Amino acid sequence: MMPIPQRARQISNLPVLAVYLLTLGFSFATCAILLGINRFVAINETTIALIFLLPVGLSATLWGLFPGILAAFICFLTLNYYFIQPVGSLTVHTSEDLVVLTAFLGVTIVISQLVGMIKHNLAAATDREFEALRLYEFSALLAMSQNEQSIGHILLEKVDQTLQPERIEILLEATPQPILVSIEHSPTANANVKPTVEPLQSARGLLGEIRVWRAGNPIKEIEQRLLKIFASQSALAIERLRLADAASKARVIEESDRLKSSLLSSVSHELRSPLAAIKASVSSLRSGEVEWEAEARTELLTTVEEEIDHLNILVGNLLDMSRIEAGALQPQKKPNQLSEIIGAVRGRMRKQLQAHMLDVDVPDDLPLVNVDFVQMEQVFTNLLTNSMKYSPSGSSIQISASQKDKHNLQIRLANKSTPVPEADLEKMFDKFYRINPSERVTGSGLGLSICKGIIEAHGSTIWAENIPNGLAFYFTLPLA
Amino acid sequence: MTNPTHILVIDDEPQILRALKTILTAKQFHVSAATRGEEGLTLAATGRPDLIILDMSLPDLDGIQVCKQLREWSTAPIIILSVRDSEKDKVAVLDAGADDYLTKPFGIEELLARVRVALRHKSQVAGGEKNTMIRTGKIEIDLAGFIVRKDKAEISLTATEFKLLAYLASHVGRVLTHQMILSNVWDPAEADKIEYLRVYMRQLRKKLEDDPEQPKMLMTEPGIGYRFVTEE
Repeated sequence: MMPIPQRARQISNLPVLAVYLLTLGFSFATCAILLGINRFVAINETTIALIFLLPVGLSATLWGLFPGILAAFICFLTLNYYFIQPVGSLTVHTSEDLVVLTAFLGVTIVISQLVGMIKHNLAAATDREFEALRLYEFSALLAMSQNEQSIGHILLEKVDQTLQPERIEILLEATPQPILVSIEHSPTANANVKPTVEPLQSARGLLGEIRVWRAGNPIKEIEQRLLKIFASQSALAIERLRLADAASKARVIEESDRLKSSLLSSVSHELRSPLAAIKASVSSLRSGEVEWEAEARTELLTTVEEEIDHLNILVGNLLDMSRIEAGALQPQKKPNQLSEIIGAVRGRMRKQLQAHMLDVDVPDDLPLVNVDFVQMEQVFTNLLTNSMKYSPSGSSIQISASQKDKHNLQIRLANKSTPVPEADLEKMFDKFYRINPSERVTGSGLGLSICKGIIEAHGSTIWAENIPNGLAFYFTLPLA
Repeated sequence: MTNPTHILVIDDEPQILRALKTILTAKQFHVSAATRGEEGLTLAATGRPDLIILDMSLPDLDGIQVCKQLREWSTAPIIILSVRDSEKDKVAVLDAGADDYLTKPFGIEELLARVRVALRHKSQVAGGEKNTMIRTGKIEIDLAGFIVRKDKAEISLTATEFKLLAYLASHVGRVLTHQMILSNVWDPAEADKIEYLRVYMRQLRKKLEDDPEQPKMLMTEPGIGYRFVTEE
C-alpha cells in the first residue's frame, strides 16, 4: 500500500469531519430539493433515483471512495424513506421498487468505487509527476553548480524539503579539507536519536554521506528511496566536477608547455640576431685586418648601439611578461596627466616615429588619470611600435582621448594597418600571437600582451577594432 | 693638471667598473673604485671624492643605506646607477640625498652630462655664489627680481607658479622628486598632493614652453618627478 502522498492530502485539504458533514449536506440538500419539486410536479421514482446519483458522484469525485459510499447509503435511505411507497417508512411494497432500490445501491457503490479509484490514481500520478519534476530540478541545479560546496547546499535544501527532519548533516570528503553543511530545526532532537545515514557512493569510492535525524516519524521506504536517488545524483555531480577540474588542469599544463616551447624558440631567435650583429660589428672593428674609414666605423658602432637598445627592450619585455604572469605587476598609481605621458613617449620615440605621421588629439585639460606613469608609457610605446610595424611607412597614426563616463577616459589609437580577421581581434593580445605566422616580423611577440597585462592591472580593458583603412586600439583608464 | 677631479665609483659588477674607469680616466678624472658598500664608505671617507657614482644593488648594503650614511658627513654629489622598473627605489634614494640617477644600460654621453651638471652645482654651492639669473633658450628667469621673460617679453606668473619655477630653476639639471617639490613649494603636509603639482606644471609649460607637450626645459622624470634642464 502506498502511503498517502503529500500531494493527495493537499487536494482535499479539508478536515475529515468537514468532508463527511459536507457529504451528508449534499445528500440531504438533494433530497430536500427533490421533495420541493415533487410537491408541484410528480417525478417518477426512476428519475429521482437517477438524480440521487449526483451527490454520490460529487462526493466521490471531490473527496474519494469513503465519502462516496457514505453518500450512497444516505441517498439510498432517503430515497426509500421519502420517495418509495409507502412514503415515510423504510419498507418496500412492490417488487419493482425493490429492484429500483437495489439497482440504485449497486450503481452508487460502483460509481463511488470507480471515481474514488480514478481519483486516487490521479493523485498518485500527479504526485509522481511532481516528484519527477523536483528530481529534474534537482539534477538541473546540480549540473549548474560550479563547486562542491554548492552541491552540498543544494542537496541539503532538497533533503530538507523532502523529508522535513529535525536535523541534517552532509559531509563531503573534499580536498584540501572536508565540507560539512548542516541544518537544524529543533536542537534537542539529535541527542539520543540515531541518524539515518546514506552514503554518497561513486565508482571511485565513498565521497561523503548524508545524515538525517527524524525522531517522531521514521523514514519510510519511499523516502529512503528518494534519499538514495539524491545521494547518487550528488555523487555523480561531484565526480563530474572533479573530472572537469582534472581535465582543465591537464589543459593548463599542456598550454603552458606549449607556451614555454614557443617562448624559447621566439626568444632564442630574437636574442641571437642582435647578438650576432653586435659580435660581427665589434669583432671587425677589433680585428685590425682592415683599416676602417671613419664613416664605416661610425656605421658599425651605430649598429652595435641600436642592437643593444633592441636587446634591452626585449629583456624588458620578457621581465614585464613574467611579472604580469606572476601577478607581480603592481602599478604605482598616481594622478597623472595623459598628455604628459604621451608627450614623454613622443619625445623618447622621436627617431623611430620619423617614418610615420603621429597625430595626437589629447586635450591637456582632460581630468587627471590615476595610473602608473612608467607602465602607461610602456603601453603607448608598445602600441606605437606595433602600429609602425604593421602599417605602411608614411601613413598616419592617430591618438585621441575623451572622457567616457564619470570614472574613465577612453583612449583610441588608430593606424593604417591591414585589417585583422574578426576572429583574431581578441587573440592579438595573446602571447606570441602573429596574424601571419610565416611573416618574418621582428619582435618578441609580447608587446600587445604586455599592454593587456598593464591595462588589466589598472582595472581597465583594452580591445581592438577594424576601422575603414586600418585598425584601432581602444582602452579605458580610471580617473584620479 | 695639478688637482684632477676625484670620482669614486661603487659598483659590484667588474665589467661596469672596468668600462667606467677606462672612460672617466680618459676624460682626465681621477677614479677610485669599490665593489662593496662598506669599502665604498671607507674610500669616500679617506679619499674625499668630488663625486660618487653608486650602484643601487650591492652585495652588502643597498644603495639607500650607503646614500644615507654618506649624507651624514659628505656633501659630494651622488649619482645613482639603477635598473629599469625600480621607480620606488629611485625615489627613495633621491629622497635619501642622492642627486641624480641613471638607468642601466646608459650611454656614456648621458653619464658625462650628469657628472658635469652635478659638479657644476657642487662648485656653485661650495663657492656660495647663488646664480640668480638663469637663461635658457628664449627664457630668462630673474630669481631675485621675481621676473620671467620669454623672448624679452615679461610673462606674468602667479605666486605659486613662480615659487615652483624658482625651486626647479635653482636646481638646474637635478632630478627633483614629487615629494621634494611639493614639500618645498607647498607644504610638507601636502607632500602627497601630486595633482596640485600636475596642474601647476601644466600652467608653467603652457606659459613658457614652445610646445607644452614636448617640453625642452621643464622635463618629466617618469614616475619620479621633474627636472629643470638648460640648453648647454
